[in-house]
Amino acid sequence: MGTAAVSDSQGSRFGMWLFLYSEIMLFGALFILYAAYFLKYQSGFAAGGSELDLTLGTANTLILLTSSFAVASSLAAVQKGSMKLSGAFLLSAIVLGMVFLGIKYFEWSHKISAGIYPGSAAFKAADPAGHGRIIFYNLYFTMTGIHAVHVTIGLIVLMITFAFTASGRISRDNHALLENAGLYWHLVDILWIFIFPMLYLIA
Amino acid sequence: MGDVVKNIDNAFIYIIGISVVLLTGITFTMIFFTVKYRRSKNPEPADIRGNWKLELVWTIIPLLIALSMFYVGWNSYLGLRNVPKGAMEIDVLAMQFSWLFKYPGGRESANLLVVPEGKAVKLTVTSDDVIHSLYIPSFRVKIDAVKGMKTYAWFQAARAGNYDIFCAEYCGLDHSKMSAILRIVKMDEYRRWLEKKN
Amino acid sequence: MSQEPSYLEHTSSLQRRGILSWLLTTDHKRIALMYMWALMFWFTAAVFLGLTMRTELMKAGETLFGAETYNALFTLHGVIMVFLFIIPGIPAIFGNFFIPIQIGAKDVFFPRLNLLTWYLYILGGILAIVSLFVKGLPDTGWTFYVPFSIKTEREISLALIAVFILGMSSMLTGLNFITTIHRLRRREMGWFQIPLFTWSVYASSWVQLLATPIIAMTLLIVVFERFFGAGLFDPSRGGDPLLYQHLFWMYSHPAVYIMILPGMGIISEIFPVFSRKSIFGYKAIVAASMAIAVVGSLVWAHHMFVSGMSDTAILVFSLLTYLVAIPSAVKVFSWVSTMYRGSVQMSPPLLFGLCFVYLFSIGGLTGLVLGSAGTNVHVHDTQFVVAHFHFVMFGGAGFAFFGGLHYWWPKMFGRMYSFKRAYAGIFMLTAGFMLHYMPMFVLGMQGMPRRYYDYLPVYEPGNFLAGIGAYIMAAGIMVIFINLIISLKKGEQAPANPWGGVTLEWQIQSPPTVHNFTADPEIGEYPYDFTRLNKNREKEK
Repeated sequence: MGTAAVSDSQGSRFGMWLFLYSEIMLFGALFILYAAYFLKYQSGFAAGGSELDLTLGTANTLILLTSSFAVASSLAAVQKGSMKLSGAFLLSAIVLGMVFLGIKYFEWSHKISAGIYPGSAAFKAADPAGHGRIIFYNLYFTMTGIHAVHVTIGLIVLMITFAFTASGRISRDNHALLENAGLYWHLVDILWIFIFPMLYLIA
Repeated sequence: MGDVVKNIDNAFIYIIGISVVLLTGITFTMIFFTVKYRRSKNPEPADIRGNWKLELVWTIIPLLIALSMFYVGWNSYLGLRNVPKGAMEIDVLAMQFSWLFKYPGGRESANLLVVPEGKAVKLTVTSDDVIHSLYIPSFRVKIDAVKGMKTYAWFQAARAGNYDIFCAEYCGLDHSKMSAILRIVKMDEYRRWLEKKN
Repeated sequence: MSQEPSYLEHTSSLQRRGILSWLLTTDHKRIALMYMWALMFWFTAAVFLGLTMRTELMKAGETLFGAETYNALFTLHGVIMVFLFIIPGIPAIFGNFFIPIQIGAKDVFFPRLNLLTWYLYILGGILAIVSLFVKGLPDTGWTFYVPFSIKTEREISLALIAVFILGMSSMLTGLNFITTIHRLRRREMGWFQIPLFTWSVYASSWVQLLATPIIAMTLLIVVFERFFGAGLFDPSRGGDPLLYQHLFWMYSHPAVYIMILPGMGIISEIFPVFSRKSIFGYKAIVAASMAIAVVGSLVWAHHMFVSGMSDTAILVFSLLTYLVAIPSAVKVFSWVSTMYRGSVQMSPPLLFGLCFVYLFSIGGLTGLVLGSAGTNVHVHDTQFVVAHFHFVMFGGAGFAFFGGLHYWWPKMFGRMYSFKRAYAGIFMLTAGFMLHYMPMFVLGMQGMPRRYYDYLPVYEPGNFLAGIGAYIMAAGIMVIFINLIISLKKGEQAPANPWGGVTLEWQIQSPPTVHNFTADPEIGEYPYDFTRLNKNREKEK
């Protein structure tokens, strides 16, 4: 039965794009909140932003960018038929993603040990003049937290993809999964490109 | 009851009036078609797929009607926002589940708002906890009370008497009991009331 | 046409039998039916909650139970009706069943994802039930306004997560439909040959896809606030509760169109078929659907005219609200004109359609009262609003849902139902509806706020009448359901095309086979071309 004359992979990529739109809207809600509070508490945001470690933030940006590049290279390698190279690129992308999470974990624990976290005693006692900084850090934890969840999901997807490349289920003629996993990983990267200046470069 | 209330009521009449005419028109046309073109009478349907001129007409005319309604409604709304000069100012604090009114000079009263007849009264509203909404149906006035925010509403205390004040934003267990009385009294009675101890 | 085994007897995966052939099915038709039973359960539960609530309100003061129970009742009624019935309702049942068929496909594009959405739906429902037994019944209203929803000691987090999961379910369903309509449509079928029901679900799926994430994030933040004290909305920590309202309505107002657009699609199918005449202004209706989807996404803050928002914002949102009324008006005029010089046959689906036009018009026109800033202030958050949105949601989406049920029932189950009982049910439902909701308009104008457990004696007659109406309405719903259930056992065998429809679902047998089409369907130049059908009928004579 000739229902439709399109190949499967084209459709699943289309579906993936739709999903990415919805992810952008998900973060869009956070960006709206950020914009509204930034207008209200500019100095508080600047104070909060200056306390973040710019070096670590920049390092993480570069790491995620490189990782994204590795996934793209992995796809290019599959299209040329060299599965080994593709697997190697994918693996390095996964490792870089984990390093990103590690640095994030270090940053978070550093802040938490300094008493800076949502609902902390220091924040509860703060006077209205300090509201801007509290809001900044609440946004910081929410945004980076939800982004980290996305990184984790992305990593799991990449690992599954890696297992499929190793077992040969992904090949030159059948690499829709790798393509979609790559799209998702790029999204995670792009979101970070937006989040990074909002939090780290605000000061 | 003052021009503001009259304007708003006129807006109600204008919008509801046109709506009733439209609704009657649609309903009767529909019933008429159902009866007139019933299958036993009209077994052979015509093949009409549209008529762009007619469609254009029934897009533009409702658009004009809608814009006129918008205009009337907006105009009546402005009356609610433009507080006349020399209005008397009273602060309102909403909390679960009562109203506190603070008068100039320090007098406070709970669940009872007393104002002198003939005066314009501006209420500056805020909340101590969750969101409430100050609603005086007789004066078509409603404004939310939000913690950390000051909102306002005003009304012309036209005629002496007692009026209801409700909380219109759901605020918890006793939301429906969170009411107060607005008492409009003669000026001298108001003065006497103001001087009484809390 | 010889009857082949239908999807009800035969599954695509032959090795599975019994209940597993349903629970593990990827057949869009079986999934649609699984959605139907689950939705019916929730709908009945919410009707029962609503009825209990209106009984309490029939008399001023405490009659059956206290304010605590009442507050929980309207919260549950709202949450269930909105998130578990109307939003998923028409797309999950009729969209799943008929979109693939209307575009000539075997299934949706992602059949397994489709099954997953059903499980997410069930999971969301179960979580909602569990949340009732943790720390007492939730009492925030379905809007979960902060800071109340942050402060209340009841179990709100679980309910919020339930809504989050339900949102994910309906968002993925929307994603599936968009992909299906783009990729699985028959090659011969151009965009302007797509039936209007599919078009309208397509439009609402986009809203679903792009607006749902916003509320998902918003509710997550409320959960964070409750667990960790992330003060993003709490004014005592510098948060702005108005921002919550903005984000909430940025989804929840478009959600109104997610609810009503598919219903409008059903009505656009019913009118032509029972008039044996093309829909009046096909392209205008398509354009109106898209316009509603787009403009409807820009009017959210008309829920906030008394919130303390700036007057400029009120000006803009009031104006936009009036603009979004126009495409709906165009649709109403088109439906009525479809009957002009048609050959109109009265039948239960058409009667639902007629009642829909009447009730939806009232809902829409009273929306004009609410859209105008000056009048809005007086009736905002009163019984007037309750009446208005029930006219739109129940008189509109609900009646369209029932209309669709009666229109497609013969196709879905291969059985005809009793028209007499159906008419009786519709009559009771509509009469009860009017008696139930009309008094609320008056109560609202008189100043009775909504979500009131108790009220002044002035409001008693209206509430009493509304209570009577509620019972008549519930009885009507019962008659309708019983009639349909009886038909499953005793109904006559339905022919392939009982109404004389021209969209693709009427070209295949009732109920359809597993792969829907046994032969390539004929796709006409124009989806509502009745001339050929009418000519054939003449020849037969």
